[in-house]
Amino acid sequence: MSGMRCGGYIPDGDSLFRQSVHPISFKGPSFAWDKCLNLSDQDDGALLGSLTWERYVPTEELIHGYGCRLAFRRNERKLAAAKLKNAEAKLKEKDRQVYCGAYELKGKAIRNLQATEGLDEVLSADVVHHVEVQGEIAHADLRILLKPGSVASVEGTKTAIVDRLWNNSSGPLRHICDCDRDIAEHPSASLITPPGGAYSDTRSYLLRFWCIVRFQICSWLWRNNFWH
Amino acid sequence: MPNYPVKVYRQAMVILDSSSKLPDTSVSPYAQTVQVKLSATGFTDVMPTETLIVTTFSSVPVIWESELRQQEYQELGAALSEMTKFEEGDEWKIDPPVYNAACYVAAGLLAHSFPAPRVFNHGSKSVVFNWSYGADNMYLTISADHISALISSPERIKRRVEYSVNELVDPSIALLSIRAAYFKKPVRRLVTGAVSDPAEFVG
Repeated sequence: MSGMRCGGYIPDGDSLFRQSVHPISFKGPSFAWDKCLNLSDQDDGALLGSLTWERYVPTEELIHGYGCRLAFRRNERKLAAAKLKNAEAKLKEKDRQVYCGAYELKGKAIRNLQATEGLDEVLSADVVHHVEVQGEIAHADLRILLKPGSVASVEGTKTAIVDRLWNNSSGPLRHICDCDRDIAEHPSASLITPPGGAYSDTRSYLLRFWCIVRFQICSWLWRNNFWH
Repeated sequence: MPNYPVKVYRQAMVILDSSSKLPDTSVSPYAQTVQVKLSATGFTDVMPTETLIVTTFSSVPVIWESELRQQEYQELGAALSEMTKFEEGDEWKIDPPVYNAACYVAAGLLAHSFPAPRVFNHGSKSVVFNWSYGADNMYLTISADHISALISSPERIKRRVEYSVNELVDPSIALLSIRAAYFKKPVRRLVTGAVSDPAEFVG
């Protein structure tokens, strides 16, 4: 059973989740799994992605709660940007961000990228707990460092990484947020099952109970500034 | 007020590849479709194969694969063009030089009879063309001056090859070798062009 530490190292066996949001992860009406994980270039040459750590989303309800808040914040940002141009502006339907569900990856699948045949340019691959400025304590950084000068174009490396991670994913865990129940044809229906198969929570009843207790304690400690 | 169709039916369609020959039938391939319940009557058991094919062709629209492919590539071109028009910061936006490179490669793919790919991107600096073949995937990641080819299965990365812009002045050899590796079709080696090591892809 996992220890009581709130932050720190994410064990290889822990699950991490990637939330899928429409329209970013879609090409027209079709789910584009390749767009589910966005790897952005950092100034130090690293590739950075965002995930959520099971330790702080120990139930499906909490996984989806994170996704719904994520889409809500993006809508708020888009609306605020539109209102800078026109105070009466409303969010266009085509710009509306709709949370659709999540896919699961194990910490080990991410760290194994470093030893993957055909990905020789990867110097290190890790997932690190990193609480977001919005206070999302489940957030984790997927961070991949490349060997300096090892590739002529990093774009092909991104494709290979996304391909490997998708092939090691499981899911989807579909969801419709309360604020999206007005959508007649919710895009969550278009999420597809990855090669890793459907998600299955293999934790025992006792372990799940412990994970929820630990989450409650860590959340309380976080809210009361005991560990940040 | 336009008249919208009130009923929609499934329509079988015969697609011919370039090596096919249209069966000799006096009926237009686009003749009105008739419903034929072959299995219910034992029709297939008693009718000679040749007659069956002619009968089938007389009632089902026929289209050449190349026509279908051209239409798919027109849709790909439209999708790429649309990606250049997204607002700055949009996840699907691509830079104009990437669009130009992608169109150039797409034209080569069409000329070499590749099926039209799915398309996605990692941001504005590249476009990725993707084909699925069974459980395997093939990707061409196209940036303004570089192409990366990747073939993978669920278990592993099978092949990766990098091409610089200089090697793509004539992309024939690269595309043919990729085609041979991925679609398991014989490769036709060309003597022109300057790809560093196409044999690596041919395997």
